[in-house]
Amino acid sequence: MTTSTPSQEILLQIRDLNKSFGGLHAINNVTMDLPAGVITTLVGPNGAGKTTLFNLITGHLTPTSGTVHWLGKSLKGVEPWQVARMGIARTFQDLRLYSQMTVEENIMTVMERSSWLWQGGGAAATQRVNEILDETQLTEKRHERAVDLAYAERKFLSLARIMASQAKLWLLDEPASGLDPRSFERFVTLLRAYAKRGITICIIEHNLDIVIKLSDRVAFLDQGKLLAQGSSEDILKDPHLAAIYFGERA
Amino acid sequence: MIAYLQNIAVLFCINAILALTLNFIMGYAGIFSLAHAIFFGVGAYATAYIAMHASDSLLLCMAASAAISAVLSMALALPALRVRGEYFVAASLGLQVIGVTIFSEWKSITGGLGGMIGIPRPKLWGYTFNDDTAFLGLALVVLGVVVAIIALLVRGSFGRSLMAIRDSESAAQTYGKHVNAIKTLSVAVAAGLAGVAGSLYAFYITFINVESFMLETSILLMAMVIIGGTGTLFGPIVGAALLMSLPAALTYLPFLPPTELGSIQQIIYGLAMVLLMMFRPGGLVGGRSKEKSA
Amino acid sequence: MLFTQLFINGLQTGALYALIAAGFSLIFGMTRIFHAAHGATFTIAGYIFYECYSVLHLSWPIAALAATFAASVFGVLLDRFVYAIIQRHEGSFFTVFVASFGMAIIVQNLIAMIFERGAVTVSTPLSKSLEMLPGLYVAPIAAVVILCAVIFFMALQWLLTKTSMGIALRALGENPTLIEVYGLTPRLLSQYVFLIGSILVVPAAILTAATSGLNPAMGNHVMLISIAATIVGGVGSLRGAAMAGLILGMAENLCLSVIDPQWSEAVTFVILFLFILFRPGGVYGRAVVS
Repeated sequence: MTTSTPSQEILLQIRDLNKSFGGLHAINNVTMDLPAGVITTLVGPNGAGKTTLFNLITGHLTPTSGTVHWLGKSLKGVEPWQVARMGIARTFQDLRLYSQMTVEENIMTVMERSSWLWQGGGAAATQRVNEILDETQLTEKRHERAVDLAYAERKFLSLARIMASQAKLWLLDEPASGLDPRSFERFVTLLRAYAKRGITICIIEHNLDIVIKLSDRVAFLDQGKLLAQGSSEDILKDPHLAAIYFGERA
Repeated sequence: MIAYLQNIAVLFCINAILALTLNFIMGYAGIFSLAHAIFFGVGAYATAYIAMHASDSLLLCMAASAAISAVLSMALALPALRVRGEYFVAASLGLQVIGVTIFSEWKSITGGLGGMIGIPRPKLWGYTFNDDTAFLGLALVVLGVVVAIIALLVRGSFGRSLMAIRDSESAAQTYGKHVNAIKTLSVAVAAGLAGVAGSLYAFYITFINVESFMLETSILLMAMVIIGGTGTLFGPIVGAALLMSLPAALTYLPFLPPTELGSIQQIIYGLAMVLLMMFRPGGLVGGRSKEKSA
Repeated sequence: MLFTQLFINGLQTGALYALIAAGFSLIFGMTRIFHAAHGATFTIAGYIFYECYSVLHLSWPIAALAATFAASVFGVLLDRFVYAIIQRHEGSFFTVFVASFGMAIIVQNLIAMIFERGAVTVSTPLSKSLEMLPGLYVAPIAAVVILCAVIFFMALQWLLTKTSMGIALRALGENPTLIEVYGLTPRLLSQYVFLIGSILVVPAAILTAATSGLNPAMGNHVMLISIAATIVGGVGSLRGAAMAGLILGMAENLCLSVIDPQWSEAVTFVILFLFILFRPGGVYGRAVVS
């Protein structure tokens, strides 16, 4: 049961999505909607298929059956770089920062999407880069190489990249794991700010703190099946789901 | 003496252009090509043919050499880049081998094993570069232009795209980079400019044959890039200078038997490559810059 | 009759290529190291055999043993002292490949300096061609080549499937971290892989010395074949590499019935290109697309 109000536009529509790897049925008939401006958290035990679901949306994997529609257009057969240009961006659990490039370069290159030999950014681009550096508090580190940053700074750089991508849908894979409390608060504030600007965010998280503090909605995935969707209150209070999450099977 | 130094200087310019362009794809894009000598050769043969049969205009011949090399490289790159880097090495090795065979056999265009003799010196706006000193000036200007082009590309958005692909291809794709197009374009630029070097070479030496474009040359170029330092702008230039002065330096060591100098040279490159990779993978200019990813 | 002649030559060449390719594929498939010095191992084995047998006039078993010793020592030491150091701090494909390549250049030129630059052959009583049928010339050594290849492959098969070390080696290719769980060290196993891979080229080197002869630059051709066969056969498949080696050897000889000899090396690469274009996974390998 979805709790989207009639005024919210559904941006991402997943219908009867299936993905099998040989004998393993990783995603099993998942149907899900992501409305504009809503922060949804995807929870579930390890191996439930959460990252696989992300991969299916971004085009890194092709579905065995089922459809994914973004802004009304089908994503079938669309390459990851094309999906990105259509307005969907994601982060990785292992970050995959451009390690030898500076913080500034990491952000700039996300904004430079064309394959042409020369792209002028102009003043607007420079301003945006500065804004992002400011919002993620990385301004002082702008000329440091990504590989030399501290852990929390790397997490924020990962977020900075997605902020630079001008994407309307953010798929974040455990973005806040391992953050100290202060950084965590900053992180939450930043995400909320962007959600208010109309960005749709879907987060994979194990950290229940985030789930409670951030999510408007929660989707519970187990063994490839979407067991429930609803407000965080409803989902987290359900003892049946809690049992699955913490390892006891009904 | 002056003539000797001038000669070395022109050859240095040509080798520097080749090393810079090879570094563009190896050091920045992470594409390992063992076929760079072929693009050099294609440029040389193209200029030789046009200069001897149609026009000795500098600009026309260089443009043609650049274009033909670039187009040929895209024919190689488009299919081969779809698969992993190791496969590109193999494919480029194949191109190098086949290229040499074609250069040796296609008598009507390349003159076969005998090569092409009597290539005229180029003409620019009425002036013919018959004077060697003038040619050196030309070579330096071309080198300068190539350095400028590469510096602009590398320091701009295209360079960032290449480095992003090198550091994390999956992330680059995820953030909207059309990786295949970018890689293919970089190979085209490198090959095109290598073709320009070939054009210079043909015009200067006025005689070319397949011996200058064999696997040994591709290996020498790779050594220049590696020893000088990949992924830096001046590394290849340093590498070119060092490796070109090696033969001359060796002749000053009296205890070395002169017949074996060629082999000794090669042993020195080989040793330099092995030791550098073990202790200083970034090359002489780059240092220890290659580290594991963030 | 020309066709039969080429066919038999092709079998002989193919058998040698299969052994060479198997060695390279074993090393690459299991350690992911692009051992560009594999050709150098071959050259060393061949020249040591030549030195012992034709120059020092030792008996052929001793010469063969010396060649095996030299090849194994080279392969294992290279892994232990060069590759291990590189892998410890950085170990990217590029760095290992270049170091390997540098080693190959050193070996090629050292051999050129120590021995003559031109080709040398080892003449044995079996090398002389006999006219078996009108127009068909076969040397008995061809039979030796093919027999040798078969024996070595059977031994390799036994080693990899029936011995515990062999099984551990195959696991190394799949999942190096799992090895440590079982108390084995990937480093040590890697050295075994280099040992076996290097030994595999020795019979090929000796037989090549006795048939077409040796020259210091032959390592390049060996590398070309190794790489081409590994890709065509499928990365990670030993059977594939061997089969591909055989196919390439056959193709190289059979094509002589229609084209000039200088194009025969190109034929190998045309086959390679076609596979890269249409079937990059090779005949037996897993499909690899980035």
